Amino acid sequence: MADHVTDNAPMTRAEKRQARRLRRFENPWLNPKLMWGAGLLIGIVMLGLVGRMLWNLDLVFTGSSQLKLPPVGFENLRKQPGVWGTPLGTDGSGRDMLSLIIIGAPNSLFVGLLASLIGMSTGIFLGFTAGFVGGRTDDVIRVLSDVMITIPPLLILVVFQSSFGDVSLTMMALLIAGFVWQSPTRLIRAQVLSMKQSGYVQMARLSGASTGHIMFREMLPNLVPYLFGSFIANVTTSIVTAVGLEVLGLGPQRIPTLGRTIYEAINAGALIQNLWWWWGIPTLLLGVMFVGLLLINLGLDEVSNPRLRKLS
Amino acid sequence: MLDEHQTERPVLTLKDISIEFPTPRGVVHAVKHLDLTIHKGRRVGFIGESGSGKTTTALSVMQMLAEPGRVSTGSIDLGGTDILALDEEEMRKTRLSRVAYIPQGAMNSLNPIMRIEPQLWDAILAHEPGTSRSDLKARSDEALKSVGLPTHVGQLYPHELSGGMKQRVCIALGIILTPELIIADEPTSALDVVTQRQVMQTLKDIQERIGSGLILIGHDMGLMAQSVDELAVLKDGELVEHGTVQQIIEAPKHPYTQDLISSVPLVGGESFLNPERRAEAPKRASTEPLLRFDGVSKVYGSVTALHPLSFTLQGDKPQIISIVGQSGSGKSTMGSIMLGFNPPTTGQVLFEGRDLQRLSAVQSLEFRKNVQAVFQDPYACFNPFYRVNHALKFPFKQFGLSQGDAHTQKAMEEACVAVGLDPDLVLSRYPHQLSGGQRQRLIVARALMLSPKLLIADEPVSMVDASLRATILSNIYDLKDKYGISILYITHDLATAYHVSDYVMVLFKGHVVEAGPPKAVIGDPQHPYTRLLIDSIPWPDLKRSWGHGGEDWDPSKEEAEALSAGTVYRGDVEGFDLVKE
Repeated sequence: MADHVTDNAPMTRAEKRQARRLRRFENPWLNPKLMWGAGLLIGIVMLGLVGRMLWNLDLVFTGSSQLKLPPVGFENLRKQPGVWGTPLGTDGSGRDMLSLIIIGAPNSLFVGLLASLIGMSTGIFLGFTAGFVGGRTDDVIRVLSDVMITIPPLLILVVFQSSFGDVSLTMMALLIAGFVWQSPTRLIRAQVLSMKQSGYVQMARLSGASTGHIMFREMLPNLVPYLFGSFIANVTTSIVTAVGLEVLGLGPQRIPTLGRTIYEAINAGALIQNLWWWWGIPTLLLGVMFVGLLLINLGLDEVSNPRLRKLS
Repeated sequence: MLDEHQTERPVLTLKDISIEFPTPRGVVHAVKHLDLTIHKGRRVGFIGESGSGKTTTALSVMQMLAEPGRVSTGSIDLGGTDILALDEEEMRKTRLSRVAYIPQGAMNSLNPIMRIEPQLWDAILAHEPGTSRSDLKARSDEALKSVGLPTHVGQLYPHELSGGMKQRVCIALGIILTPELIIADEPTSALDVVTQRQVMQTLKDIQERIGSGLILIGHDMGLMAQSVDELAVLKDGELVEHGTVQQIIEAPKHPYTQDLISSVPLVGGESFLNPERRAEAPKRASTEPLLRFDGVSKVYGSVTALHPLSFTLQGDKPQIISIVGQSGSGKSTMGSIMLGFNPPTTGQVLFEGRDLQRLSAVQSLEFRKNVQAVFQDPYACFNPFYRVNHALKFPFKQFGLSQGDAHTQKAMEEACVAVGLDPDLVLSRYPHQLSGGQRQRLIVARALMLSPKLLIADEPVSMVDASLRATILSNIYDLKDKYGISILYITHDLATAYHVSDYVMVLFKGHVVEAGPPKAVIGDPQHPYTRLLIDSIPWPDLKRSWGHGGEDWDPSKEEAEALSAGTVYRGDVEGFDLVKE
């Protein structure tokens, strides 16, 4: 191909832009969507980590500050100005909003990641089993996942959580994981069925490869883009479910989470008292989280499906 | 040289066309300064290897180059219209009504959820909106009739049609607006020889009737010789030779054209194999026959893919047994039964006296080591996640042949050299960086490293460029004597089977219809089905017109005859016994 490469003259600005697009086309991981999405999520994790080091987290306890103080630069209905001691304001029981989100935001992300991780692992296991073993096992797994997909998770989880009462974050993640394994199971089963017929799996069988080798060394690496995409979609679903439960007043009672904060704000009538920072800040953070996840998902789509990549 | 046709205005004039694709590593020039003129009613073949720019040139006429490709120099003139000056809407109107494109694998381009008729109507309505329903019906019926399909086909869905019928529907779709130019891009590459001949005849007939120009893209010199008037030979984006078929086949000037013509194996022609390598084959340890089929049959639901078949391959002297037939004849089923991938419905397959379906784990590994395969599709055989050496290294270690990494590396390099590849260039590449021919040779190298006793080669060269077929087959052939490997060669290509095999079995609908030494079976066929196959081969020889069937050639009569005729046995060879029914 070397003789095809011609111009060595300095590039114009348009040509440089074109070259940049082409590089991005060649290396899909240099995807602006992916980078922005990852940036937003890392930002939330950093908020948790750096906040813990720099901020006095004791302010998270009830009555540690004045009640219903606005963020700095604003006034509440009682004409009290915001103070730098609580830069994002305080809630109805005097808890510092900044401390709440430093602890709460990573908690919500944690529930989502853990639930999705457990769901994915179950899905990989069941999907491979169904695709490989086939027959009766396949029927059982397929019917089970198809049925589970039709059940609205919130309905069941509300019943579960109200009977459990106070749960830990991990417990909540486990419960949610029970509802996010179906789609990876179906996805992986379908991929395994088609890959089983592919030339390289036949070649591996000819090479005397064990079933384990075929599954994990030949097939799984090629599934990675799908798994990533499915994982991120699951994190989103898990966070939505978790926040949904928390906003209903279920889930962990003593640990600050973004959903719990919104629940308390609604419960205390923050909307009519114009305490916008109380519900607004956690909602904004959730928004950022979802946009981040969405961008990562779109970016990964382009990585795994070159046809979506555009040159212009 | 083509002057007698130049009184009328040409259908298509390509002047100094260059097409380039900007990539991160610089601009790739896919087509370089190509000049070509196509006259009314003429059929022009574009021939060359994959990547030679034949499809790219054709697509530029339709303004359908894949992003970011562009025509950098030259002009395209379609019957007086400058194609490159048209905007998107004008181009849309031009496509199909003035220039039609029948893509490669056109049979998969029909919409699976629409009946045939509305798909034909869509084509008319897109160019002549407001055409009345009765008019549409009349025109679609006429188009179907003109490609030799009954009109009720219009009421069917694509999945209800055979490959050949779908391809004809695509031709009907291409000619429904009587274009000035038809571009057919390997229209028969997915069809077997018998259907290929029918479809090509349909295409020729209809092109003659509407008097349009035809560009036929392909890599099969035989098909070209039987189908076109003029040939344009392309290599690396350059037009290396252009002239009438007669000129090019009888007196090719460019060495590449000469290569293309000589690389087509002919029945009865000169052998492409190297006859000198006759090394003494290693002796086998076992006295049991290498492979034995004992009343093996395979039934899928209500379809019998393979009728009971018994044979014994002794394997003391390495031999090549060819199994020949059309798609659906049961030849690939036979291959997968031999590999133990597919259990037979009745009977048993014995490898060195052991039933394949009752092997212990240790015996199974031993069997895998001794029976290897080369599959049809070199593109699918490598895991895209690994470098290609994974496919060679892994089985070598798995079968305990390796004595350390250095030894493995050396064995891999030797195997590569043996099939004519440079190990430094190929071994550390990823599969997508290699061509189909390189990959297929690597698969042969892989089999060589494992030195099995039996190699099952299932259409090993059908997806490889014509010029490489002979090389790969002689690679496989050389293995036979050098390493004492018996080979079962499964193919639809009678010409190669004629040259490489010691014994040929012709399979038709799961039955062996003719069997014996290749000189008898293929050189002088007795069974009507074998004759049909031989007649369907397009010969790169103008004096030998496509078989002796003529214009109204209809294989259905011969097929019916073939069904009623019994098996013809044409003699035996030592070491292989086919049990006669």
